[in-house]
Amino acid sequence: MANSIIDWIDQRFPLTHIVKHELTDYPTPRNLSYWWNFGFLAGFVLVLQLVTGIFLAMYYKPDVSMAFDSVQHIMRDINYGWLLRYIHSTGASAFFVVIYIHMARTLYYASYHKPRELMWWTGQALMLMIMATAFMGYLLPWGQMSYWGAQVITNLFGVTPYIGDSIVLWLRGDFSVGDATLTRFFALHYLFPFLIFAVVGIHLVALHTVKSSNPSGISLADKDNIPFHPYFTIKDLFGLGVYLIVFCTFVFFIPGSFIEAANNIPANPLMTPPHIEPEWYFLPFYAILRSIPDMLGGVVAMGLSVVIFAILPFADRSNIPGGARYRPVYRAMFYLFIIDILVLGYVGSKPPSGVLVPIGQVATLIYFATFFLLPFISKWEERWMRARGLSPELIALLEPRPQHDNMTQKGEAA
Amino acid sequence: MKRLFVFALCWLMFGAWAETETPLKNIEVGTDLPTLERGAETVMTVCTGCHTLKYIRFRELAKLGIAKDKVDAWRGSNPMGATIASQMPADAALAAFGRAPPDLSLIVKAREGEANYIYSYLLGYYTAPDGTTGNHYYSVTRMPDVLSVAGVTDPAQLAQLNQKARDVASFLSWAADPHAQERKSLGYYVIGYLLIFTTMLYFLKGRIWARLDKA
Repeated sequence: MANSIIDWIDQRFPLTHIVKHELTDYPTPRNLSYWWNFGFLAGFVLVLQLVTGIFLAMYYKPDVSMAFDSVQHIMRDINYGWLLRYIHSTGASAFFVVIYIHMARTLYYASYHKPRELMWWTGQALMLMIMATAFMGYLLPWGQMSYWGAQVITNLFGVTPYIGDSIVLWLRGDFSVGDATLTRFFALHYLFPFLIFAVVGIHLVALHTVKSSNPSGISLADKDNIPFHPYFTIKDLFGLGVYLIVFCTFVFFIPGSFIEAANNIPANPLMTPPHIEPEWYFLPFYAILRSIPDMLGGVVAMGLSVVIFAILPFADRSNIPGGARYRPVYRAMFYLFIIDILVLGYVGSKPPSGVLVPIGQVATLIYFATFFLLPFISKWEERWMRARGLSPELIALLEPRPQHDNMTQKGEAA
Repeated sequence: MKRLFVFALCWLMFGAWAETETPLKNIEVGTDLPTLERGAETVMTVCTGCHTLKYIRFRELAKLGIAKDKVDAWRGSNPMGATIASQMPADAALAAFGRAPPDLSLIVKAREGEANYIYSYLLGYYTAPDGTTGNHYYSVTRMPDVLSVAGVTDPAQLAQLNQKARDVASFLSWAADPHAQERKSLGYYVIGYLLIFTTMLYFLKGRIWARLDKA
């Protein structure tokens, strides 16, 4: 019975083929470490945010006079409303933890190299869309930080030459953040996850075309690839279990960790909080914004700091595979960059005063220098490594070998 | 280089910690019924003179376990489903203090330091040399010293005040997050389940991956 139903579907839709090609027979490098779990986790968090968000939207009221109260209604009166809301608010932070680790893994192993440039760029697009979604979602509880955060960030667009004021007006729908802003942010906050879903689809189609990268940095021989199912379904599930233990610890025991105290005060346009601070995941970029004394320069630098990752496939000119795994200078740069981001994050969380200002400026300089010096350093590093003599392991990796042509393979299978 | 940065980071954090003003007094928030009931007593008889608790209904106080006759005395002619209003009309409060007294149902979560802040603030009143009353934790406060803390030196009386402030902070903690107990007790089951499930997945993964070595 079941077979005949599947046959019926297969004559009309390539169900068995898709399951076989993309899951049970999908070749995956055997040597993937647990750092490769985070792509799947990001997908899981996206689904969880979407599902909890839909249920929250059934009770939330996007109206300045009701928004704050409706969140409290969810937290206090709706059955398990507190659970939905805490999963959603913790999930926003968890999303950034997961995608930042996912990106850091790509940086460490230089996985953005040919042929995975489109993976990297669609990933960048996803990051930008997630940032926009998180920013708009943060306005919805209509607390003090929601309001003033949105006020400050939308204000930044005012530096656009000639049309700045019009852009700010267009974003807010009013002369200051208000009911029009809240309703449009709510509409877009509901829309964006579906757009993100579509881009995730593109990200995955690209992934299944070029296949997963792996720690060695080269495409492995057939014998070193294993089917995705059951080997990586079980590995991803185990990773998910570990992730959920950490996530649920936050949700059930310290759910207030990511909700600013000031955001439990209803938005008040007449009272500026003493210290306006974005959510932790924006802090490094916020520190870059404040490190540039000129407003326009700061906004440009902040925008650049987010999108500059896109140049990496060109900026890293080394032919040594495996990124930081085999390249000592690249590895040192990677760690310096991570520490630099942490320093920027710390500077962004404090009022800009005293020694923090020059520290933030130096960290900003290091941030951009990492990208702009990489073309030279990577080339120099390769020469230096070759002059010093490559390890036998690396020489073996660099040997030309018959490469899979994935496109033709796909064509044959079809 | 790396180490230098870590040192710098630690030094900055220490510096930031050292420069904060009067440190808050830390308390263990009570979740037992007697503490909450005493806290509710003070809040309902003292605080609601000016403050509201607009997210708490009288019914929820009864559900918490507070004696029915007490709740009835507090609500007067209000129905059980009514939220807790203040005895002072909002415009009168505004006229008296220049600012509407904040609603108390979320106040614990709305302050950095949470219950510790409320506790420290309530006990933070002192008499300045010029005879006026100030507060160590919120110098521009407009709330009078309702617990009559300033100037008290008698240890027995101080201990009583400390307990009163702790009761209020505990009750307001409950009011800010009434599902906290339910959330935590559910959390133990969720984490326990996940630990067992993940351990099983770990062993299952080992068994599945062992097939690769046989081949």
